[in-house]
Amino acid sequence: MALLNRSDWYDIARDTNWTPKYVTEEELFPKEMSDCFDVPREKWETYDEPYKTSYREYVKVQREKDAGAYSVKAALGRMKFLDSADPGWKSILKLHYGGIALQEYAAGMAEATMARFGRAPGMRNMATFGLLDETRHGQIQLYFPHEYVSKDRQFDWAHKAMHSNDWAAIATRHAFADIMSGRDATSVALMLTFAFETAFTNMQFLGLAADAAEVGDVTFSNLISSIQTDEARHAQIGTPALKILIENGHKEGAQKLVDIAFWRNWRLFSVVTGPSMDYYTPLAKREKSFKEFMIEWIVGQFERNILDIGLDVPWYWDTFLEDLNTTHHGMHLGVWYWRPTVWWDPAAGASPDERDWLEEKYPGWNDTYGKCWDVIIDNIKNGREDLTLPETLPIVCNMNHLPIVGVPGKKWDVRDHYLDYKGRRYHFGSKVDRWVFEQDPDRYAGHQGLIDRFLAGKIQPANLEGALKYMGLQPEDCGKDAHDYAWVWNYNKPDKVAV
Amino acid sequence: MTTNIKDIHKHNRVGPIFRGGELATAAIDALEEDNPDKEFTIEDRAAYIRVETDHECIIRRKTMEEILGRPFEMQELEVILGSFSGQIEAEQEYVRFYFDTKI
Ligand SMILES: [Fe+2]
Ligand SMILES: [Fe+2]
Repeated sequence: MALLNRSDWYDIARDTNWTPKYVTEEELFPKEMSDCFDVPREKWETYDEPYKTSYREYVKVQREKDAGAYSVKAALGRMKFLDSADPGWKSILKLHYGGIALQEYAAGMAEATMARFGRAPGMRNMATFGLLDETRHGQIQLYFPHEYVSKDRQFDWAHKAMHSNDWAAIATRHAFADIMSGRDATSVALMLTFAFETAFTNMQFLGLAADAAEVGDVTFSNLISSIQTDEARHAQIGTPALKILIENGHKEGAQKLVDIAFWRNWRLFSVVTGPSMDYYTPLAKREKSFKEFMIEWIVGQFERNILDIGLDVPWYWDTFLEDLNTTHHGMHLGVWYWRPTVWWDPAAGASPDERDWLEEKYPGWNDTYGKCWDVIIDNIKNGREDLTLPETLPIVCNMNHLPIVGVPGKKWDVRDHYLDYKGRRYHFGSKVDRWVFEQDPDRYAGHQGLIDRFLAGKIQPANLEGALKYMGLQPEDCGKDAHDYAWVWNYNKPDKVAV
Repeated sequence: MTTNIKDIHKHNRVGPIFRGGELATAAIDALEEDNPDKEFTIEDRAAYIRVETDHECIIRRKTMEEILGRPFEMQELEVILGSFSGQIEAEQEYVRFYFDTKI
């Protein structure tokens, strides 16, 4: 039997804007769940999703994607690759799965918000597929690491991390709650699908896939790039929503939501993707630097798209471009120093050859971040590992909940951007984080960061040991230097004595 | 890199970013055939292939069928379409990448 063309029936099938009889329109689509901009229903009817699919096509295509990902995994017998993989690469996998797998389920809930409360039938339709996509991403990214759990218990954190009070989990939950579970359907379309999924997911799921292919981790490369094909489709939920908001006089409000989401994602990815690409990936296998990938995907691709749809570059654009040279180096230094507090083994990435690479990619690295590593190297060489380990906790930002970082060494610029609000002082890692807070202070004010909890006596005993316990880290889970300091001894080779 | 970082987003390059494989090769051939007046740049990074041209390009289902020598549904392209630059219009007979504005 011949099937009808999709275009012959799509508009009729999509049109589910019935007139409610038993409840009012406002009860069916409450503003706070549906559309904080309150654009009239008839305006939303012009919404036309640019990347369409139907259920029949969806099932066929998704089946093919899954068959590809699982058969590559089966054919390559993953365990063998992992045995021979560089410890830095293993850390990338642990960080990726722990930071992302469960947030995929949370993203599914955000898609469900749009599927139920979206004002446009087309948005509800595409978000239903998006919900199925995110369920796939959650399941597959728990299934793939599961086989390593028996070999290395840090992989257990693929499932555990987001249920814990580890600082990295608090930071991740806070950022995603702000753009996903804590927003109405229209805001989710802007902040999650547009500002996150057409931007930063490309960094972690395609940029990092290029490094994975170089390293020889074909299974992981294939898995994450397969996931990104789902993202590419359901990320398009946001574009027509943005156009409708701009057409109806809400450009300023839409711009603000996109700017908030972009900044929050940027900070989070500076601690996830930044160290992964510039420090954990073995030197010979690095396709590009983090900054170069950011220029490709975010500056070149995403930002141009923002202009095309009718928004402007964010007001903090110059700050952001400057930060591409610095933020992730500081985050990396912090994560490595506080390594017992993470569920992966951070690779220092600071051997003589790696420093040459960093200096080339980030001129001035040796005079700034390198100065800190010099001290660490001396301490290790002198048998004083204890001086390279933390005794207390870092000051974290009350917006992104990551350590407050700046440039050390000759360009020292570390500073606290604070704000007093309703009798409490809040600390921020940048003026942009403080700006985000100021847009809706009561939304954020009640949240207690890790340090707030520490000072409130919720972490006992009130020392690092108590903090590790609070974060759910057993001694065997705690991160160590990925290469057991082997890189330090490269500095003893005669030709590198001068470093 | 000689371009000022502040100007990097001021361009008009659009196009698909494919995962590698046989289908991607066919789609790149289709792009060349369906957009005869366009020059494409191809950046192959193994895990993904960035294909870009100026302002607009299209891939037609019929062209894909001719190149592959088998029936082809446009939606099958999704399996390899990891990302794209520009906006998209994905219909049953074609997929188009474009910008509304020119810089
Ligand atoms: Fe996802
Ligand atoms: Fe997604």
